[in-house]
Amino acid sequence: MERQLETFILHLKRKNVVGSYQVSRATAELLRHWVSKEKWSNAKTLIEAIRAIGKRLIDAQPLEFCIGNIVRRVLFIIREEYLAIKKNTELESATSSTTSKSPSSSASSSTTTSPTPASPQTTAVHNLSSSTSATSQLRSETSSKHLLSYEDNEDIDFTENFPRLKAAIIDSVNELIDELEGLHRNVADQAIEHIHSNETIMTLGCSKTVEEFLKEAARKRSFKVIVVETSPSLEGQKTALTLSKASIDTTLITDSAVFAMMSRVNKVIIGTHAVMANGGLIATSGTHLLAVAAKYHSVPIVVCTGLYKLCPLYAYDQDTFNNFGSPGEYLKFEEAEYLEHVHSYNPTFDYITPDLISLFITNIGGHNPDYLYRLIQEYYDPRDSLEDDQ
Amino acid sequence: MATSTTTLNKDFEWVVTKFETMIKRETEISVAIPTIGILTEVIRNSHATTIMGLQKDLEDAAKQLKTCPFNQSISLSSVCDLFIRFVTRTSLDFPNFDHVNRIKISQLADKFIRDGVTILVHGFSRVVLALLLNAAFQGKRFSVIVTESRPDSSGYKTAARLQAANIPVKLIMDGGVSRIIDKVDYVLCGAEAIVENGGIVNKIGTYQISIVAKAFKKPFYVAAESFKFTRSYPLNQSDIESLKNEHISEPFKVCNSCSNCENPEQLTIDSPTLDYTPPSYITLLFTELGVLTPSAVSDELIKLYY
Repeated sequence: MERQLETFILHLKRKNVVGSYQVSRATAELLRHWVSKEKWSNAKTLIEAIRAIGKRLIDAQPLEFCIGNIVRRVLFIIREEYLAIKKNTELESATSSTTSKSPSSSASSSTTTSPTPASPQTTAVHNLSSSTSATSQLRSETSSKHLLSYEDNEDIDFTENFPRLKAAIIDSVNELIDELEGLHRNVADQAIEHIHSNETIMTLGCSKTVEEFLKEAARKRSFKVIVVETSPSLEGQKTALTLSKASIDTTLITDSAVFAMMSRVNKVIIGTHAVMANGGLIATSGTHLLAVAAKYHSVPIVVCTGLYKLCPLYAYDQDTFNNFGSPGEYLKFEEAEYLEHVHSYNPTFDYITPDLISLFITNIGGHNPDYLYRLIQEYYDPRDSLEDDQ
Repeated sequence: MATSTTTLNKDFEWVVTKFETMIKRETEISVAIPTIGILTEVIRNSHATTIMGLQKDLEDAAKQLKTCPFNQSISLSSVCDLFIRFVTRTSLDFPNFDHVNRIKISQLADKFIRDGVTILVHGFSRVVLALLLNAAFQGKRFSVIVTESRPDSSGYKTAARLQAANIPVKLIMDGGVSRIIDKVDYVLCGAEAIVENGGIVNKIGTYQISIVAKAFKKPFYVAAESFKFTRSYPLNQSDIESLKNEHISEPFKVCNSCSNCENPEQLTIDSPTLDYTPPSYITLLFTELGVLTPSAVSDELIKLYY
């Protein structure tokens, strides 16, 4: 198992595994394999182990945010499943104890949650009432979970051992992998709602999600797409090629023509590298330029992304999460002697503030940038911040 | 019980009389019903503007009830406690919450203070101070610009405390904000109250600083504990008068030496001490519940109150 992990880390470092989707799937599968093959006694040790693996993976490739996201999702799953099983077991033991005990003694045990019930006629009736009170208690506990989460943090230590836990976790991780597999489809299924006939769409870079989205829309609607070539990687040219092959009316423009073309565009649809907790984006460099141009012309910017790209992190400015690529993509090595005194920078990403974005289309539907904090609360546990992961 | 009677709040003696009449009128009902009725009335009559204030009122009233001679049931005490817990449950969750919260906020906001940043601070806020001192303690190198924050000149206090911790700090006039904003990386301030739409009520001058920050595209961060969350929805500046009767406060003192006027005391002076900053000017709020966007605040408020 350790060897498999090492190989994966090496692949990440050498960028043999690239692209958020591939990396996420590989991470999820690795973690699933770990949960099923390795020995662990309880959820606490499992959480610690997964967290340690997560940190190593993140260190291998700190700017592939989806590694951290998947690790956090898996940690969240472990906690959820643990709590669910714990509550179920407690519920079962509560109901079984009330049936075995005499009505009077069980009545005293249930008075804590419900006002003293009228003296029960039969054991069966009482059993019912006490089990409902237990369920209502359970429900009230879950509803107030977030509110009183300070207590939860300290109270639950995840050390109990449940034999069912392993299977439950693996099932949920499988669901997560299914979600990853189906996400392009799920995002694309919403295409018809967003792209209308004879619209002009502008896009940039090369994103599988956006590509599928546009192709799906093209099956029902006819529209024009303007693709920005996205120098220096020229990924936009690839996109233009695939879209035109799918018989979509495609126009390729240079990055510098973005502003000039924007006035005739109805909608900008882009993919992203990561979505930050405040609704901002970390996306291919050049995206900020596009977003500002779109804002100037009041053209809505739609971001197509899977939920796995949503990170519970904040980007503080353009430089917080960024990387400098090789200038070799646009400066020829042979010309080096003439460029001796020239500085050149090739930043990989742009940070785009949330106020420039109009809508996120994720595999679970459309969301306002303001709403993303709720998705983060829904899918991640604040305890899993993996602090030093930047 | 004997010790607690000495600290009874005189303002809530009406509670006992009311309880007595209710108990005597209806002998059949459970003690819970009049208790809840009375505590609800305490809330209704309370002039408290914060959860802490309300909690104190309720606790005072509950203490009166618990120690009164008509209390013949143990359940009265638990009803009181449950009621208070329900009403103010978040604040009751922290035994020493003032301190705990500030540490938590400092940790959450920690990553926002990076080496080399310049932060503009307005007024005096314990949370902001704790946050900055915590960052300095960790060896981060940053500098702070503090506004004078008239009329109470609380900026001097902030600046002095920061200087004592060897943080490079500069004091500027309240009018000098836009002059120095280009040297600032972001604005950080506290809050007297965080209102339902995610806006804040804070020391006078906060609003104009937030407008300047927005004009210059600088982030505007607010650090405050969640007990500052207030169920109020101000639509304009005058709405905050209902939160705090601020015009009762005395007008600021005129400075005879700089007014260049014979009788500056005769001039009409308006000196509001608070202003309302709408959510659109706030980038993020650091609370112990997490780093929140202004729109997340109403969500948290709903969780606290419903």
